[in-house]
Amino acid sequence: MASSCSQALRHHVCKSNRILRVYLQKSWPNRSFVLSSAADQPAVSSPEEIVIPRKKTWSKEAVLQALASTVNRDPTASDYRLQDDPYLTPKTSSEFKLFSLSQESGKNAAKYFINTYPKYFQKDYAQPHIPCLMPETLEAQIEEVSEAALIERIQMRKVKAAVDLYDQLLQAGTSVSLDVTNQLLDLICFYGDSDPAQENVPEQRNEETEDIQDEPQAKKGRAPKANDLLKATWKENNNAERIFALLSEPNPHSYSALIRGMVKYGAYSKAFSIYTDLLNNRLKADVHTFNALITAAPEVKEKYNEKWELIVDLLKQMAEQKVKPNLLTLNTVLKALRRCGTLGKSQAFPVISEMKALSIEPSLASYNHLLAIFYKPGAPIQGQTDILQEVMNEVSGKSFTPQDPDDAQFFITALRICLDTKDMEQAYRVHELLGVGENWRLLGNDFQQNIYHARFFSLLCMMENIDVVLKWYRDLVPSVYYPSSNVMRDLLQALDTDNRLDLIPQIWKDIKQLGHGNRQKLVEELLTLMAREKHNQEVQESLAECALDIKKMYDAGDRGKVMLSWTATSLSDLTSVLLAAQRRQDAWEMLKLFKAHNRVPSEELLNKFLTCIKDSGDVDQAVELVQITAGFCLPETPKLIQRVQQEFELSEQQKNILSDLELQTFNSD
Amino acid sequence: MYRRLLINIYQVRNGLIHTQNTRLPSTKCKERESLASAIWAPCTARPLGTSSIFFNENKESSTSQLEDKGKKPEENEANAEINTAEQKKTEVNEGTKKSNAALTSQLETEPVVKPEDSNQVEKSKSGKENLLELLGAMKVEVTTVRKIRPSKTPRMSERPDQEPMESAHSMFQHAAAEGSQQHGTLNPALAAAVSAAASTLPNKHQAESELLKQLRKHEAVPDTKRRADGQNLGHIIADMKVGRQANGRSNARPTSQIRFDDDGKGYTQDRGIIGELDGVRRRKSPFTSKRLNIFTAGVEQDALSHLGPTLWDIDLANQIVQTTNQMPRNGFEEMIQWTKEGKLWQYPINNEAGLEEEASVPFHEHVFLEKHLDESFPRQGPVRHFMELVITGLAKNHHLTVQQKKEHIDWFRDYFQQKDDVLKEAEA
Repeated sequence: MASSCSQALRHHVCKSNRILRVYLQKSWPNRSFVLSSAADQPAVSSPEEIVIPRKKTWSKEAVLQALASTVNRDPTASDYRLQDDPYLTPKTSSEFKLFSLSQESGKNAAKYFINTYPKYFQKDYAQPHIPCLMPETLEAQIEEVSEAALIERIQMRKVKAAVDLYDQLLQAGTSVSLDVTNQLLDLICFYGDSDPAQENVPEQRNEETEDIQDEPQAKKGRAPKANDLLKATWKENNNAERIFALLSEPNPHSYSALIRGMVKYGAYSKAFSIYTDLLNNRLKADVHTFNALITAAPEVKEKYNEKWELIVDLLKQMAEQKVKPNLLTLNTVLKALRRCGTLGKSQAFPVISEMKALSIEPSLASYNHLLAIFYKPGAPIQGQTDILQEVMNEVSGKSFTPQDPDDAQFFITALRICLDTKDMEQAYRVHELLGVGENWRLLGNDFQQNIYHARFFSLLCMMENIDVVLKWYRDLVPSVYYPSSNVMRDLLQALDTDNRLDLIPQIWKDIKQLGHGNRQKLVEELLTLMAREKHNQEVQESLAECALDIKKMYDAGDRGKVMLSWTATSLSDLTSVLLAAQRRQDAWEMLKLFKAHNRVPSEELLNKFLTCIKDSGDVDQAVELVQITAGFCLPETPKLIQRVQQEFELSEQQKNILSDLELQTFNSD
Repeated sequence: MYRRLLINIYQVRNGLIHTQNTRLPSTKCKERESLASAIWAPCTARPLGTSSIFFNENKESSTSQLEDKGKKPEENEANAEINTAEQKKTEVNEGTKKSNAALTSQLETEPVVKPEDSNQVEKSKSGKENLLELLGAMKVEVTTVRKIRPSKTPRMSERPDQEPMESAHSMFQHAAAEGSQQHGTLNPALAAAVSAAASTLPNKHQAESELLKQLRKHEAVPDTKRRADGQNLGHIIADMKVGRQANGRSNARPTSQIRFDDDGKGYTQDRGIIGELDGVRRRKSPFTSKRLNIFTAGVEQDALSHLGPTLWDIDLANQIVQTTNQMPRNGFEEMIQWTKEGKLWQYPINNEAGLEEEASVPFHEHVFLEKHLDESFPRQGPVRHFMELVITGLAKNHHLTVQQKKEHIDWFRDYFQQKDDVLKEAEA
C-alpha cells in the first residue's frame, strides 16, 4: 500500500513537473517577444523616451490559480481531502461517508464550542487579524429599547426578540423607520415567523445516507427540503401580516417581503391577493415579487392552460411595469412549465428565446428544466434524442458559473436521459462539459456525484466494449467513485459479453476492497461466471486462486459477523472451478462442505469430479465419492457406481463396498 | 407513396383490385401469373375458397361496430395474407377483367398501380421488406387517425396540422367507398366481384343475392357513423399501441419505428443519420425559434432603492454554495479557499499586509516622538529622563501604530500630572 502510494506520488510529481516545464517553455518565447517589441517601440517613436510599464495589480488569488491550473487529477490517488492520513483513507463508500461526515461534524463541534464559550477564545494571535477565526457574538449587546437594538436583533436573525422589541417600541410611541420595518418584515417572512434553527447547535441530521449507493433517485436529495416546507406553513394573521397591517404606507419592498414569505411557506392564493392589493395601491412590484408569484402560479390553477395563461399574464404585467426579468425569472418560468404538461414542450423554447432577446444567458438550471420538460422520468423515450443533442450543442465548451440552486441538477439529469436513451455519444459530451473550466463545481455534492458516476459507468458497461470500460474503470474507481454492488454486476456482465472472464480475479480484488465481498448476489454471480466456461491452464489457475479467496470470504465469521451463506449453486460452482484447475484436494474439501451445510451437489458436478479423479487414478477416492453420493440418496448413485465399476480397477474389498451400496440404493428405491 | 399504397390496400379489400391487371404490361402480367400459379397451382379450389372467406370477413367486420377498417391492426400480423389474397383475387377475377376494363380506366390511374406493382415484385424478392413497407403504411394511418382524437377532446394547444389530417381521413373514406357514390347503392365493380365470387359457389344465384345484400347493408352505414367509428378506431388502435408509444401526443416518426420493428435491438440507431443532418438541423435549432414577444429589449429597469443585499439575496447565495461542490481538489485550491476566507497571507507577498491604516503615515512620525513631550512634561530632571527613555523605546517598537504610541505617552502624562504633588514633595 505504502509503496504504491509513494509510487503514485512520484508519478504525480513527475507529471506536474513536466507540465510546469511545458508551461515555461511556452511562456519564454512569449516573453522574449514582448521584450523585443518593447525595445523596438521607443526606437521607432523617439529614442530618448523610456516607457515604464504600468504597475499591474494582481488579484490575491492569481498566483495560486495559476499554480492550481498546473495540477491535474491523478486517477491513482484518492481525493485531496482524504489524503491527510493514509491509514484513514477510505476504501469503500461507507468508509467514505463516515470520513466526510466526521470531518464535517468535527468542524461543527469546534465552531459550537467557540461560539458557546467565547470568553475562552478571546486571545487574538493573528497579525493581521483574522475575523473568521474569532467567536461570533450570539447575544444581543444593546439592552435598551431603541431602533439600534432592533437593527442588531434583525442582523442576528432573532425573529422573536426582534418582534417583541418592535412592539415595545410602538408601545413606547417611538416610530420605526420604514427601511428597518421592511428589514424586520424580511426577517419574519424569511423564517416564517419562527426562530431559525440555530446553525451551530448540533442537530439531528436526517439520515439520508442509508444507501446512497444503490440506484439513488434525485427524489432523495429533495426530500429534506420538502420536509422543511411541510413543517412550517404560513399561519393566519402571523406577526408579518400584523406588522404589515400596521404600516401606514407600505412600499414595494414591504409587499415584496410579504409575498415572498407567503410563497415560501405555501400560502399561494394569499400571495396573489396581496399582489392585487399592491396593484390597487398603484405601486409597482419588483422582479423578486414576480419571481415568487410565477413560482406560485402552477399551485393556484388546476388546468395546464390556465397555469400557463397566468404565467403569461404575470410576464405581461412585468413588461407593463417596466420590470426587467432576470435569470431566476427565466428559470422559474421553465420550472413552472414542467408542470404544464404538453404546453411545456411548445412554450419552453419561445421562453428561452425571449430571455435571450433580453440578453439573459440561460444557466445550467434552465437547460436542466428544459430537459426535464422533454424527458419525463419513466415515460418512454421516443424520437426526442435530438433535444438533448440540441442542448449539448448549445452548452458544449462553455464554462458556467453557479447562478441558481438548480444548476447542480443538470449533469445528473442529462446523464439520466443518456442512460434512458442509451446514448453513449451524448454521455461523452456531457462528461466532456464537466471538464470545462469550473464546471466540475456544478456537479454538486457527494451524493449527486455518486449518482452521476453510477449512471455514467453503467451506461459505459452497457454500451462500450470491455477495453474502453476498463479504461474508464481504472480512471474513476476508486479515486472519485466507489461503485455499488449493482454497478459491479454491470461490469461483470460487460466482462461476460466481451469474453474477458480471465480478468475476474482482478475484479474480485477490487470488489473485496470496495467492501462488496459480502454481497451474496454479486459473489454468486461471480462464481457462476467463473465456473461456466473452460479456460486455458493459466487462467484456470488464477481463477482457482480467486475461488479459494472467495471461499475464505464465506468462512470468515470473524468479529461475530456471518456474512455469506453457502447455497448449492455457489458450492458447486466453486467446486467445479477448483476441479477445472485440477485442484482435487481443495475440491474434496468443498465436497465435504455440502454435507456440512445440508446442500445437495448436482449430478453434473459429481460426474465432473469422478472424471477428475479418474485422471489421477485415485481409486479410493472414487469409492469414497460414491459413498458420499449414496449418503445424499441421489437418484444418480447407481449410474455413478456403474461408472466406477467400469472405469476403475477395483480391489476385491472395494468391489464389495460398491455392490453393497448398489443393493442399498436399489432397496431404498 | 404510403397513401397510395394504402388506397391500394383498401381497394384490395373492397374487391376492386382485380381491375389492376388490365393496366399491367403483358410481361408483368405473365410474371405474376406464373408466380401465382407457382404458389397456387396445386389446387384451384383453395384460392377461391379463401377469397370467399376473405369476403366474408369483410362483411362480418362491416356489420360489427368496428367497421372493416377496425380489422387493420389485427391484420398487421396477417399482412402477408393480404398480399396473397391480392394475388388470389387477380387469379379469381381473371375471367371478369375484360368486362371491367372500362370501369377501371375511370377508377384507376397509372401511378396507383405502380407502387403495387413494385410491391409485388418485391414480395418475390423478400417478403420481409414488403411486410415492413406495409407496416409503414399502416403506421401512417395510425398516426393520422390518432391525431384526430384531440378534436374530440379539445386541448388548448393550437394544432396547425389539423386540416391535412382531416383531409387524409376523408381520403380514406373516399378510397373505401370510391365507387359507391356514383351509383345509388352499389358499385358495379363490387357487383361484378360479387357475381364472380358467387359463380364459384354451387348455388350461384342465392349466394350472389346474399352477398349483395350484405354489401348494401355495408353501404347503408351513414357517413357520420363512419366518422365516429373512425374515431372509435383511433381509440382502439391507440390502446393497442400503448406499449410502444404511451405518450401519444407527440408526433410519432414512422421511419424510425419501422427500424425499431425491424432490428428489434430495443433502441434506434439513427444517430448516423442525425449526424449527417446535423448541419441542416443546426440551422433550425429550436434555440433560435420565435420568442414570446412580451418584453421589449433594452428597457431599463426603474431604479429601485437598493439597500445592499437583503436576507433573501444572502440566502440565495448560500443555497447556491451548498448545492455546488466547494471541496478543493488540490493544495493550491485549498490555499485559494483560505485566501478568500482571509486565513492565509496573501500572494504576492506583502510585508505590510493588514497594516492599511498605517500606510499613509510617514516613518518620521514613528521615530521622532520628542515633539509629544514638549507641552506638559518638565524640561529636565528624572521625569524628563524617564520619558526620553520611553520615547526611545517607542521609536523602536514596530508593533504599535502612531496612534497607540501617542496614547502611551498620554497615559504617562496623565500619570505624572496625578502624581504632581508627590513629585514636588520629593524633589521640588
